Amino acid sequence: MGPHLWTNYGEVVAMILFGIGFSNLLLKKNLIKKIIGLNIMDTAVYLFLAEKGYITGRMAPIVVNGIQDVETYINPVPSGLVLTGIVVSVSVTALMLSLTIRLYRRYHTLDLDEISTLLKKEDK
Amino acid sequence: MDFVQNIPFFSIILSMFSGIVSSVLSGKNAKRLNTFVVFFVGVMSFVLFLYLMQKGESYIYRMGHFPAPWGNEIRAGVLEAFMAFFFCVIMLCSLIGGRKHLIKEIEENKVNLYYILVNLLLSSLLALIYTNDLFTAYVFVEINTISACGLIMIRQTGRTIEAATRYMIMSLLGSGLLLIGICLLYDLTGHLLMSYIQMEIAIIVEQGMYTVPIILAIAFISIGLAIKSALYPFHSWLPDAYGYSTVSSSAILSSLVSKGYIFLLIKIFYRIIGFAIIRDSKIIHILFAFGICGMIMGSLGAIKENDIRRMIAFSSVAQIGYIYIGIGLGTKLAMTAGIFHIFSHAASKALLFISAVGITDASNESKKFADLTGAGYRNMIAGVGFTIGSLSMVGVPLFSGFISKFMFAQSSLQVPGKMLPALIVLGISTILNTIYFMKTVIRIYTPAKESTYEKIRFFTNLSYSVSIICFGIVNVTLGLWSQPIVEMIQTGLDMLA
Amino acid sequence: MSKNILILFSIVFPIISGFVLLCYPKVKDRKKIQIYMLGVFGITGGFVSNIITGRAMTYTLYEFMESIPIYFKIDNMGRLFASLVTIAFILSGLYSFGYMEHERNEKRYFGFYLIVYGVFLGLIFSGNIVTLYIFYELLTLTSFFLVIYAQTREAVMAAMKYMFYSLCGAYMALFGIYFLYQYGTTLEFTPGGVLDPSLLQGKEEFFLFIAFFMLIGFSVKAGMFPMHGWLSSAHPVAPAPASGILSGIIVKAGVFAIIRIVFEIFGADFLKGSWVQQVWMTLSLITIFMGSMLAYKESIVKKRFAYSTVSQISYILFGLSLLEPKGFVGALFHTCVHIFVKTGLFLAIGGMIFKTGNIKVEHLDGIGKKMPFTLWCYTLLSLSLIGIPPAGGFLSKWFLAIGSLESGISVFSWIGPIILVVSALLTAGYVLPITMNGFFPKADWTYKRDELRKVMVIPILILTVLAIGIGMFPNRLVTYIGNIAEQLL
Repeated sequence: MGPHLWTNYGEVVAMILFGIGFSNLLLKKNLIKKIIGLNIMDTAVYLFLAEKGYITGRMAPIVVNGIQDVETYINPVPSGLVLTGIVVSVSVTALMLSLTIRLYRRYHTLDLDEISTLLKKEDK
Repeated sequence: MDFVQNIPFFSIILSMFSGIVSSVLSGKNAKRLNTFVVFFVGVMSFVLFLYLMQKGESYIYRMGHFPAPWGNEIRAGVLEAFMAFFFCVIMLCSLIGGRKHLIKEIEENKVNLYYILVNLLLSSLLALIYTNDLFTAYVFVEINTISACGLIMIRQTGRTIEAATRYMIMSLLGSGLLLIGICLLYDLTGHLLMSYIQMEIAIIVEQGMYTVPIILAIAFISIGLAIKSALYPFHSWLPDAYGYSTVSSSAILSSLVSKGYIFLLIKIFYRIIGFAIIRDSKIIHILFAFGICGMIMGSLGAIKENDIRRMIAFSSVAQIGYIYIGIGLGTKLAMTAGIFHIFSHAASKALLFISAVGITDASNESKKFADLTGAGYRNMIAGVGFTIGSLSMVGVPLFSGFISKFMFAQSSLQVPGKMLPALIVLGISTILNTIYFMKTVIRIYTPAKESTYEKIRFFTNLSYSVSIICFGIVNVTLGLWSQPIVEMIQTGLDMLA
Repeated sequence: MSKNILILFSIVFPIISGFVLLCYPKVKDRKKIQIYMLGVFGITGGFVSNIITGRAMTYTLYEFMESIPIYFKIDNMGRLFASLVTIAFILSGLYSFGYMEHERNEKRYFGFYLIVYGVFLGLIFSGNIVTLYIFYELLTLTSFFLVIYAQTREAVMAAMKYMFYSLCGAYMALFGIYFLYQYGTTLEFTPGGVLDPSLLQGKEEFFLFIAFFMLIGFSVKAGMFPMHGWLSSAHPVAPAPASGILSGIIVKAGVFAIIRIVFEIFGADFLKGSWVQQVWMTLSLITIFMGSMLAYKESIVKKRFAYSTVSQISYILFGLSLLEPKGFVGALFHTCVHIFVKTGLFLAIGGMIFKTGNIKVEHLDGIGKKMPFTLWCYTLLSLSLIGIPPAGGFLSKWFLAIGSLESGISVFSWIGPIILVVSALLTAGYVLPITMNGFFPKADWTYKRDELRKVMVIPILILTVLAIGIGMFPNRLVTYIGNIAEQLL
C-alpha cells in the first residue's frame, strides 16, 4: 500500500480534495461556501481524471503539425471527459448561484438553516 | 438493421430538440408540442417494445462514427422499451392532470419554460434508460437533476426555492459520488462502455486484484444514486420538494425522476459489475438495511404529517425503501419485484398526488387535514382516485401494490438471513400505511358540517378527470394482469445481464 | 367452459348490478329500485340454485400470478354455504325494502348490499387460498360501506375499527400464504391438506406457528377473543338488515376461511394434538363464556346481540377446534342455525327499534303489546339460540358436547360441555328478559298496536320457521354435513 500511495500521489491529492469538497458541500451552512465546496469536489475529480490520462513525456492530443505517431500523445479520452465534466459543473454552479441570489433577495441571508426558520415563521 | 431500431436515439433527440424549439414558442404552443412529443415517444417506445418482444433479444445501436470500445452506444432491450413507454404514459397523465394548476401557479410568460424543462427531463430519462455508456449516463444524470430542480422552483415561492436549493445540494453530493465512482471504474478497466467494463471487471475479479477499489467504486455509485433517489436516510430534501412544487412536478418527480436513477443503478449492477459480484459484495446488505429503515421511518414521518401533500411525499420514502429491499435481497425474483414496484409505485404515487390536489381544491386550497373533511363528496373523481391510490399503497388485492408486496414476500423467503426482517417490516409498514392512508380516506369521506366549499363536478375540469381515470386504469391493470408484465420484466432482466 | 362459467356469472352479476345501481344517478323512485333488486336477487338466486344442485365443477378465470390462478371450485361445503348465504341475503334484502324507507341514500345501501353479496359468493366458491384471500379483502372493503352507512361520527369510527381489525387479520393470514406458496404442493383446497411432507421436514414447529398465525388472522372476522372488539362497535351503527348480514353472514366468512385453511390446507392431522389446537380451544372457550357475560351485562340491544354473536361464533370455532367428526358436524350445524337465528333476531329487534326509536333494553318494555307478532318470532328465535329442543340450537349444542366428550383431549373434553351449559344459561338470561318485559310490562304502557309492514314481517317469519324447522327435521342436513366431515377428516 505504502509505495503505491507515494507513486500515485496525484490521485491521493485528488481524493483528499474530493473529501474536502464533499464535506464542505454537505456541512457548511453558508450557501456560497457550499458552492465553493462543490467546485473543489468537481475539480478534484478532474484532477483525478487528468492524472489517469497523463503519460509521462507525451504531449496533449492537440494536432499542431499534422498528425504524428500515436505514441506522441497522452490518452485523449480522460481529457475529453474532463472537458465534458467542466461544462456540466459550470452549468450546475450557475444554477446554484442563481438560486442563492434568489434566496438572498428574499431573505437577506445566505445561511440555509436561517432561511428555513424564516420560512417556518412565514407559515405561521 | 431494421428501421425500428432507430427509435431510442430518435426519441431522445426528438424530446431534446422539442425542448430547444419550445424556448421560442408561446406557452400554449409549447404545451401542444410537449403533449405531442410525449405521446409520440410513448407510441414509438411501444412499437419498439413489441418489436423487441418479437425479436427476443436486445440490440446495440452505435452512435457517431467510432466503433465499439471508443464510440458511444445505445442499447435497447424489452425492459428498457417498456420502461420508456410506461414513463411516457405516466408523464402524459401527470401533465394533463396538473394543467389547471400549472396555469394558476406560474407566471404566464414562463409557461413555455416549464415545457422546456419537461422535455429535457424526458430526454434525459430516456437517455438514462437506453444508454450503454457510463459517462453519458453521468451527463444525463446531471441534466435530469437540473431540469428536476427547475420543475420544483417553477412555482416561485420562498418554500419552493429553498426546496430546490436543498434538492440541488443533495443531488450534487450524489452526482459527485457517482462521478468519482465512474472515474474509479474507468481507471480500473479503461472503458466507458458498459459491456466492455463488465468483461474487464470479470477478469479483474477472477484474478483477485483491486478488490478494495472495486468495492469502493460500487459503494460510491450506489450511495450516490441512493441519495438522488431519496433512499432513507438521504431523504431530507424530499418532503419539501414534493410537497410545495406544482402538482405535475410532484407527480413527475416522485414517480419518474427517482425511478430513473434506480433503474440506472440496476443497470449498473447488472450490466457493469455483474450481478454475481454484487451479490457477493456487502453493499447489497447496506442497501437492504437502508431500505428496511426507510420503509418504517418514511411511514412514521407520513403519520406525523398534517399536510396531505407532504404526507404523500413521505410515503414515497417508504416506497423507495421497498424498491431497495428488492435490490438488497439479491435474487432475481426480488429484483423483479423491485422493478415491478417501480411501475406500481409510479402509477399509484402520481395518482395520489394528482387526486390530492383535487381534494385540496375542493377545500379552499387548504392542505391541512382538518379542512379536508368531506372533500371526497365535493370532488367525486378526486376522492375515488385517492381511494384507489391509497388502496394500492396499502396493498389490497386487485391493485398494483398487492402484487409487488406479494412478490417481495415471496422472494424474501428464498433468502434465509433476510427473510424475517423483510417479512416483519413488510407487515409493520403495511399496517402503518393503512393507518395514514385510511385516515385520510375516512377524513375525506366524513361528511362536513357546513358546506361552504364549492363543488367540483366531473366535467368542470375534464382533462383532470380523464387523467385520474387513466391512472386508475393503469393501477388496476397492473393489479389484475400482472403476470405478463412480470414475465416481461424477467425476460428484460435476462437481456440486461 | 359450457356450464362452468355460471360460477363466474353468479359472482360477477350481483357485483355489476350493484355498481350499476350506484352509478346510475337518475333512479329516485323507490319502487323501481325494489323491482330492480328483486330482479337481481331472482337471477342470482337462479344461478346459485343451478350451481348447487349441479355436479361438482371448477372454473379458472386466468393466471393471476405465477402459477396462481383465480380459480373457483364447487364442493359440498361451498354448496351448503352458498345456499345459506343466498337465503339470508334475499330475506334481509326484502326486509330492507321496508326498513330503508325512512333513510336517505337507500340507493347506496342497496348497491353495496348487492356487491357484498356477489363478493361473498366469490369467497365461497374460491378454489384456492389466494382467490379466497382476495375475496376476503374485498369483503372487508365492501362491507365497510354498509357499516359506515349512517356517516355519523360513531359510524365512521366503528367502520374504521372494523377495517383495521380486518385488514390486520388479513395481513396475518397473508403472511402465512407466503410460506404456503413455498412449502405447499399446491394452493388449491384439497381435503387433508396440501403441505409437502418432504419440504416440511424439520420445520413442523415453524409451520405450527404459521398455522396459528393464519388461524388468528382469519378469526379476527369471526370475532374470537381477543380480536372481538370491532363487532360490538360496528353492529349498533349499521342499519338493522346490515347488522343482520354482518352478524349472520360476514362473520361466517372468518369461519369459512378457517375451515378451508385448517382442513384443506394444513390438514386436520397436522394440527391434531399440537399446541395450536389447545390454544385455539382455550381461546374459543374463553370467548364463548366472555361473549355471553358481556351480552348479559350490556343494555344497548344491538350491542347485546353483537356480543351474543361473539359468543355463538365461538361455539362453531370450538366445534372445529376439536378436529373430530362429531364436533365438525356440530360446528357446521350451528353455522346453519346461527345464520337463521341471528339474522332473524337482528331483523326483529331492528324492527322494534325502527318502530320505537329506543335502543336500550329497558325501553323495550311492553313492546309485545305494540308488535306481538314480531316479539313472538323473536321469542322463538331466542329459544333456538338458547338451545331448547326441538329448536335448531339444541341439536348443534348436543353434537358439540358429544364431540367434545368423545375427543378425549384431557381437560377440554369435560370443560367444554360445562362452559356450553353455563353459556346457554347466560344466553337465556340475556335474551328472555326482552320477551318477558315485552309481554308483561311492569307499569302501564300506552302502546298502541302497531305491527311492522308485511314485507318486513315475512322475512322474519321465514327465518323463524327455518330456525325451528332445522331442529325438527335435521336428518338430511346432518347426513350432508356428515359427508363433508368424512371428506375433510
